[in-house]
Amino acid sequence: MSVEIDTRPIWVLLALRALKPLFYIVLAAVFLYLVAMPAPAGLSAAGQRAIAIFIVCLVLWVSNMVPLAITSLFAIVLVPALGVLSKKETYALFGNEAVFFILGAFILAGAIMHSGLSNRIALNIMDRFGRSPRTLLLSIFLLAAFLSFIMSEHAVAAMLFPIVFDISKGLGLKPGKSNYGKLLFFALAWGCVIGGVGTFLGGARVPLAIGILKESTGKSIEFLDYAVAVFPLVIVMLLAGYFLLTRFFPSEVADVSSAHAVLSRRLKGLTKMSYNEYAVGGVLGATIFAWIFFGKAAGLAAIALSAVVCLFALRLVRWKDIEEYVNWGIILMYGGAIILGTALDKSGAAEWIVNLLIGKWADKPWMIFAIFSLLSIFLTEAMSNAAVIAILLPVGIGMAERVSISPALLTYSIAVPAGLAFMFPMSTPANAIAVSSNYITVKDMAKGGFIMCVVAWVSFNLFAAFYWPLIGMGYGK
Amino acid sequence: MKENYIDNPAALKIDLMLRGLRIDDPLVRAWACGMDGVDIMLPRNTLVNIPCREEFTKGSPYVLRKKGGGYAITDGRGEVAAELVKRPAFYDRKTSTGVPFSRIATVHGSLTSIAPSSRCDFFNASVECKYCAGNLDVKGADKTIYSVEEVVETVEAVLEEGVGGLIYLSTGFSEGTDGGIVFLKPYLHAIKRKFRCLVAVETLPPRENRWIDETYALGADSVLYNLEIFDKELYEIICPGRAASIGRKRCMDALAYAARIFPNGTVASHLIVGLEPPGSTMQGIDYLTGIGAVPILPIYRPRPGKALRIDPLTTEIILPVYKHLYRAVTEKKISLTWVRDLSMVTTPAEIRALVDDAGTRPSIVESFYKSRLGRKTAWGLSSLRRKLRVKASEGGEEGE
Ligand code: SF4
Repeated sequence: MSVEIDTRPIWVLLALRALKPLFYIVLAAVFLYLVAMPAPAGLSAAGQRAIAIFIVCLVLWVSNMVPLAITSLFAIVLVPALGVLSKKETYALFGNEAVFFILGAFILAGAIMHSGLSNRIALNIMDRFGRSPRTLLLSIFLLAAFLSFIMSEHAVAAMLFPIVFDISKGLGLKPGKSNYGKLLFFALAWGCVIGGVGTFLGGARVPLAIGILKESTGKSIEFLDYAVAVFPLVIVMLLAGYFLLTRFFPSEVADVSSAHAVLSRRLKGLTKMSYNEYAVGGVLGATIFAWIFFGKAAGLAAIALSAVVCLFALRLVRWKDIEEYVNWGIILMYGGAIILGTALDKSGAAEWIVNLLIGKWADKPWMIFAIFSLLSIFLTEAMSNAAVIAILLPVGIGMAERVSISPALLTYSIAVPAGLAFMFPMSTPANAIAVSSNYITVKDMAKGGFIMCVVAWVSFNLFAAFYWPLIGMGYGK
Repeated sequence: MKENYIDNPAALKIDLMLRGLRIDDPLVRAWACGMDGVDIMLPRNTLVNIPCREEFTKGSPYVLRKKGGGYAITDGRGEVAAELVKRPAFYDRKTSTGVPFSRIATVHGSLTSIAPSSRCDFFNASVECKYCAGNLDVKGADKTIYSVEEVVETVEAVLEEGVGGLIYLSTGFSEGTDGGIVFLKPYLHAIKRKFRCLVAVETLPPRENRWIDETYALGADSVLYNLEIFDKELYEIICPGRAASIGRKRCMDALAYAARIFPNGTVASHLIVGLEPPGSTMQGIDYLTGIGAVPILPIYRPRPGKALRIDPLTTEIILPVYKHLYRAVTEKKISLTWVRDLSMVTTPAEIRALVDDAGTRPSIVESFYKSRLGRKTAWGLSSLRRKLRVKASEGGEEGE
């Protein structure tokens, strides 16, 4: 535990403390008012209450006044209590496939990290390919992206951070001053962010989005379909990222042999590849294979959970080893978000909001796609990407119905940009980890990140308009 | 002809601390004069600890005499009433493990000093501070460390009796970057958890500022990093261990940082009067008050074989130093409510009577903080301030 002392004047601290209860009182008053006021035309009483709950959760998610998971629990309590959905229906929604897929993915990622396999892969790749400053940078960038295809991007960032930090120290790079130092940590953060949108496994947001989509429309998105649709964007973003970084921060390093010494030392510290590593690698390979080819028939969650059962049956992991990798907060948050999304949809509230906010002026599918992707990519810079999905997707799906755009496509328009958080440390843990190295400043990140956001948004919309129709994913239903 | 201080308690306190006191009655002498001197209450609530055993006290003009039912101090020309401070009753009790409380704690007016370990590693490297009274000079493994429970029991006894309610925890030097706060941590933690009392902590200045943050976060209400000597050369000669392992510059930086973290008037540093020229001590006073720390000026008590005292050293020479202290502290608006009523040193508040004609009485605020309610208020405010200021982080929050 580290301690920080806030040295701002006491009256400022007191005022800030006093704001908290005031904030809750105002929020409660707004909530009660929204519930009690006469329902506007076109909105059912259940819809009105769903909107009141949605607004309270939205404020809490955006302000982060309570942990995200606790806001979700609050939604789970309020939805049946106010009669928006029945108790049975509400709690049954928590058993959504997406929630169990996320649980399975956490355990799989935990097993890979615990076995040491991911660390071994990382060290070997960097050692083999990182012979010059350029290839070392590329190997970190691509490795972060690649690993984020198969495990949560912030787990990748946390795992690679000590290695990249040692390399920077080994090269004698000055924190805050060295351009090459900045390059290495940007490569780590952006590699994770870009790779994280490549598959369902980079973060739990895509499964969450699919969970909400499924509950609202009965439709789903398959593992392979998603990867085929998004992969070209990942490649373009990786190229754009590399190009931008090397232009922004021209490297001052000519020789990386001392980084090599660091990697060799770490590699020497590893034991021979163990049975556990082989077996965990095998289970992971088989799981991805099953997701690609049997995902539709067997269900993604069922495959993930079968893999988990395998891991335990083969005694490759123990619950005690895995527990710390399972983020229960995220699982609770997702369960609540799915319940709230369904409540908004089933009560007709989502459709009513869409009519009110966007009305008739945005009636072209490409326009809707552009608006939601823009909202998503910029909201995610300031708030948790899962919260972005929880807030935008129910409304987006309501909109899709009205303007004849495929709800699945609209799910992409929110779920993919929600993962592309490049600008701030608070946007995503990968950025926060990179900034904590002190090699990158928040200003560096905001500057470069803004350009990356614009590039990402433009490319994403271009892919949706020109590439997706070629693979049978037009805007239409 | 020497100046006559007998009618001015503040000046008399300084003169008594400098020259000592003779106690003719062997019975009184045995009863009242401990190793650290005798605690006496002079008029105007001026508490003083006066040396009475050391060799130099034999030449003192001051004598303690019985007068009626009480005592008086006379210098041959005049006399002043003197009240012998009662020995705290808890001194005669023991911890549940059988250690006399008097061995663990010593009451010095408003504070009770506790050193949980009798070890300072400067002695083990023969680089101890040359003026050190040597009560922490147990070498090597042959050391006494009082357990947390023993210290907690002692504090309980102190607070029950209502004497020296400010607990003063101190420790000697040990290797490490924390200055000793890691060692004091369990004691501080336990005292703060169990009792509603204010705690001051004296350690060596830590090498990293994070330990100062930690000291505050742990519950210390006041902190002392003693510079002891302001003159650079004398510092290196008299405090070889401190100079080599911490350094004067780091001590000053640590004090400056602590003054930004702790409340006004709660960061203090000793500058020993008598070990360096008065001008140098005054520069030290200016420096310390400039960074927001309270200089505390104990007077060096010579011991056999330790002739470190500058010569001549008289009250006439050092009075201007104390007056300078009062002016500097008031000019820099440093709060005087914290460092007060200490028997071992003359506090800035006591010197007010020497400088400020109107100020022979403590202000209403100072009087309030001396009261029971005032002490509770001080504790409450100090705890509230800490609650508002301390942010503990345990790494990352939620993921996604
Ligand atoms: S630090 Fe100096 S004064 Fe303190 S106990 Fe050690 S030797 Fe004595």
